[in-house]
Amino acid sequence: MSSQASPMPGSASPGPIRAAMPRRKPPIWGGRLQELGMLLPACILIALFLLLPFLSSFEIALTNQRLIPRPVPVRFVGLGNFQQILTDSAFWTALWNVTRFTVMVLPIQCGFALAIALLLNQKLPFRNFFRGLFFLPAITSMVVVCVIWSTLFQYPTGPFNQIVGFLSFGLVGPIDWLGDPNWAMPSIVLLSAWQAYGFQMIVYLAGLQNIPETLYEAAELDGANAWQRFWNVTMPSLRQTHIFVLIITTIQAFKLFTQVNILTQGGPRGTTDTLVHYMFTAGFVDQRLGLASAVAILLFLIVLVVSLVQRFVVRDRR
Amino acid sequence: MSTVVSTSTPSPVAKVSAKPDIGAIVKFVAVLIIALVVISPLFLLFVASLKPDRFQILADMGSFRAFWVSEPSLQNFTDIATFGGALPFGRYLVNSLIILFCTVLGGVFLNSMAAFVLAWGRLPGRAVVLTALIGLYIVPQESIVLPLLSLVNKAGLGDSFAAQILPWMASPLYIFLIYQFFIQVPRDIYDAATVDGASPFRIYWSVFLPLSLPVLATVAILLGIETWNQYLWPLMVTQTDYARPISVGIASFFGHDSVYWNSAMAASVMMMVPVLIFYLAFQKWFVSSFISSAVKG
Repeated sequence: MSSQASPMPGSASPGPIRAAMPRRKPPIWGGRLQELGMLLPACILIALFLLLPFLSSFEIALTNQRLIPRPVPVRFVGLGNFQQILTDSAFWTALWNVTRFTVMVLPIQCGFALAIALLLNQKLPFRNFFRGLFFLPAITSMVVVCVIWSTLFQYPTGPFNQIVGFLSFGLVGPIDWLGDPNWAMPSIVLLSAWQAYGFQMIVYLAGLQNIPETLYEAAELDGANAWQRFWNVTMPSLRQTHIFVLIITTIQAFKLFTQVNILTQGGPRGTTDTLVHYMFTAGFVDQRLGLASAVAILLFLIVLVVSLVQRFVVRDRR
Repeated sequence: MSTVVSTSTPSPVAKVSAKPDIGAIVKFVAVLIIALVVISPLFLLFVASLKPDRFQILADMGSFRAFWVSEPSLQNFTDIATFGGALPFGRYLVNSLIILFCTVLGGVFLNSMAAFVLAWGRLPGRAVVLTALIGLYIVPQESIVLPLLSLVNKAGLGDSFAAQILPWMASPLYIFLIYQFFIQVPRDIYDAATVDGASPFRIYWSVFLPLSLPVLATVAILLGIETWNQYLWPLMVTQTDYARPISVGIASFFGHDSVYWNSAMAASVMMMVPVLIFYLAFQKWFVSSFISSAVKG
């Protein structure tokens, strides 16, 4: 495959190919056959279930193939599927929605994660206990999160409506969080950020713990207050962590599917339709495998570009 | 804002033995409150699962009664576990456990074996395989599931356990994670084993596996969470209750006019409990697992 993939493998090989000490040679061919037997199972599975579907998606995308084959022969349609997608306003809506989701979820999720990480990075009794507690949503299945949060979003008497009503002295609300086209996406954003912030939190915690204490001492000697220390020591030192967290969160955000599929089915009025949901509807619900494969390729290209940006930015540092 | 203490106590040892600090207590209480608020949805779930009346659950949600259950009952759980026709959650749970067990066990074994050969084998072409794997890592699951579904159906594996286990056992990410661990093992250890004339599998099994428990635990945890929470793939590949996992089962509560909240809550708790047990037992490992998956990049 692509050789630009990573800087790692070259440096990684420990170079045991030259049998350095020919003391008592193990049976070379027997050994190699055995090695092949150890390497192949994983490689065959990956070839069958990852490489093959990936490559075949490029072929399928050029045809009008159906998920459940019809008696009519499959026809080659060239770039017709891509043309159809790119002229479908629903696709652009889905792309716009997922972009909107990403732009909203990034600051909320990462900001909250960083805030909690800063809180937990101080001298605090039971720190590990708190870290474990704050990490709980991250290991909770999205399906379960949807069950809980759909009761929180309940219209008109759910907790969120009660809180909003209370804070606004009854002037605002009740809001149909998941049913109102203006509120459906922000609600999905909130729920998603709550489920996923734990991962970013521990990444930030690890980043914070790598900042040398001496930097803070020096800043303190210079008379910097807590606010200044945060902006002039903590934030610049976290640069790499920020980049990593932003990229990972962006990639995750572009794959948004489960919560939308369960809670809104892409509605109301298409305001929460996403790329993966669009693909799912095209390929699984409408059985148009060719069209869906074309969407899948576009999704892959987006993820690829974001990953390459990460590689580029990270390598920049080295 | 009492963080600037700088004046009297420069050494951390002195700070610990100092008088109880009001600021520290305030901070502790503040963190505790924030934690409780953030985690409260999970708490609400457990409370609600003990209320057998689904209308009561909704009515209580808007008030502080949501945090309390006056007559706790396990009826929801016995209902969904034994429900004759509608949704056999006992079966879904067992299905999920079977899929989890096979995927994690097979995954740890196959990935570590491959990683061993890539790191220490003498097979030609290892670097090529490794590069290919790293390249494949970028491909997101979401963009291959539909072609995969078509392949799986053609192979007659639709609606089976195999279709949910085999595709996700071996993974470039986990091979690479273990590989990175293996190449840090000192050369002497490998040499010492080869001098005895041990076969590659022997060296892997009795020397490298015992050494690499931390990274194997990491892979087991990450793969386990991933498998347990799978949704998109089983949603498409399972057509009957035969191999349907609990995630898809819970999702099927939605999409009707009135949701059976009592059953949905109990089923959600059922789905969370196995994870919670493992989490409580291996919390440190969980956190470090997720960190090591991140550092890899």
